[in-house]
Amino acid sequence: METAMPDDQTLSEILARRGVSRRAFLKFCASLATLMAMPPAMAAEMAETLAKLKRQSVIWLSFQECTGCTESITRSHSPTLESLIFDAISLDYHHTLQAASGTAAEAAREQAMKDNYGKYLVVVDGSVPMKDGGVYSTIAGVSNHDMLVETAKGAAAIIAVGTCAAYGGIPRANPNPTGAVAVSDIIKDKPIINVPGCPPIPVVMTGVMAHLLTLGTTPVLDELGRPKVFFGDTIHDRCYRRPFYDQGKFAKRFDDEGARNGWCLFELGCKGPTTHNACATTKWNGGVSFPIESGHGCLGCSEPDFWDAGSFYTSLSMPADPLKYTAAAALAGAAVGVAVSFVNRARKDEAKTAHQTATLADLRK
Amino acid sequence: MNNLKGIPITMAGGDDELALSFNADPLLHEIASLLCDLVESGKSSSIDLRSLPLLPGDYGKLKDVLGQGEVSATLEALGATHVRETAIHGVWWVTHYNSDETVVAEFIEVTTIPDILRTHPADARVGLDRLRSRLSLAAGTDNGDGDA
Repeated sequence: METAMPDDQTLSEILARRGVSRRAFLKFCASLATLMAMPPAMAAEMAETLAKLKRQSVIWLSFQECTGCTESITRSHSPTLESLIFDAISLDYHHTLQAASGTAAEAAREQAMKDNYGKYLVVVDGSVPMKDGGVYSTIAGVSNHDMLVETAKGAAAIIAVGTCAAYGGIPRANPNPTGAVAVSDIIKDKPIINVPGCPPIPVVMTGVMAHLLTLGTTPVLDELGRPKVFFGDTIHDRCYRRPFYDQGKFAKRFDDEGARNGWCLFELGCKGPTTHNACATTKWNGGVSFPIESGHGCLGCSEPDFWDAGSFYTSLSMPADPLKYTAAAALAGAAVGVAVSFVNRARKDEAKTAHQTATLADLRK
Repeated sequence: MNNLKGIPITMAGGDDELALSFNADPLLHEIASLLCDLVESGKSSSIDLRSLPLLPGDYGKLKDVLGQGEVSATLEALGATHVRETAIHGVWWVTHYNSDETVVAEFIEVTTIPDILRTHPADARVGLDRLRSRLSLAAGTDNGDGDA
């Protein structure tokens, strides 16, 4: 990113120049450390280490993605506590954010790799298309696969940001036309930290970076490569509506008494019980709320194949087998499919005319 | 974003027993155990209130039992932070807000004084330099207005 700050300044010097006090910084570290389940003493230690840190080179590669991950991290609340961590890094390459373009942009990436070989961090958002030689996504004529392999060679670690980079995400959803795969399907010899979510929570991204920068180690990961401190619990475990689940109080429709009372959304298809993420505790939009608090169930966006895991409105207790649905649809044939959609449309029109209440079954059509 | 309070939607049963998750009691016992550590070994600790499923009634109960002590401090650092000692000495309630006045973090700290109130040694050094430079400026303009 364009910056007037010399790279040999420490973070505390940079922050002091920007008028960010040590207490403000300690406030940031305290919230980070607690998020990462570290003891309070660790917050002070973290603040000390981070404050003395020289800027770390980061190369951000954007592949088959929608830029939602970048939006998430750059549009966190203001003046962003999360953004402080970006003063600790030198973002040397990022398509969307860098001023340079074309040859100059690629030169910046090559220069950063050369200057910091073996030490730089690579952040990837987006999946990598493998079908037809990777022609579905290229940058400066280079396929995503080749650029990833080349850039990963000198990396200290890779952070796969977003469900696409971590597990293939929506590009990989059935029928996966581009042959999309995750970063970890290609790179096998570097530490990879998956930070899934569609998009991921800003403070989770910065927390992982703070961990790498202060402790110099990768955080403890679960079997899907996610940091356990953020992805160790399910949404359901930490949901403020959990007491209603325990009491057996469920909303049956989005407009019923239960929904108005803020009861559990399990029966409306909430994927909270099978989704590991920190939304229920860190929340979104600067701590305002998270989807369940806004009255909609969790979609499970931080889990692999969430797009193909059946309807968002089917309760987890109902058997869902997306593969079976696909096979059935193929057997039934296109003509029948068209007929069904006409019937459905007719029913919706009928309901509209008769002012009938739409049911869950209608939503699933 | 800072006017969400103006939207007239509240969770029904906000003041009655429905708003209790029954997590306040275990939490109070945990605070007692941490305070015991502080008394016996001087070990400080903290609890992140936002990491637990707490309903409005639980907050009310915590506030009722812990009460309000004699110390209350507010600091302005990327938004306000309110630091209050509760009526239980050694138990502090720390609330961090961002500049939109939204709570970004909230802790119960069991300690003799929360870290965020202490002056960092490096800042004390900066303070000393600043005061010395003001004194020398004042000395240089002794017969003037003296205001550095």
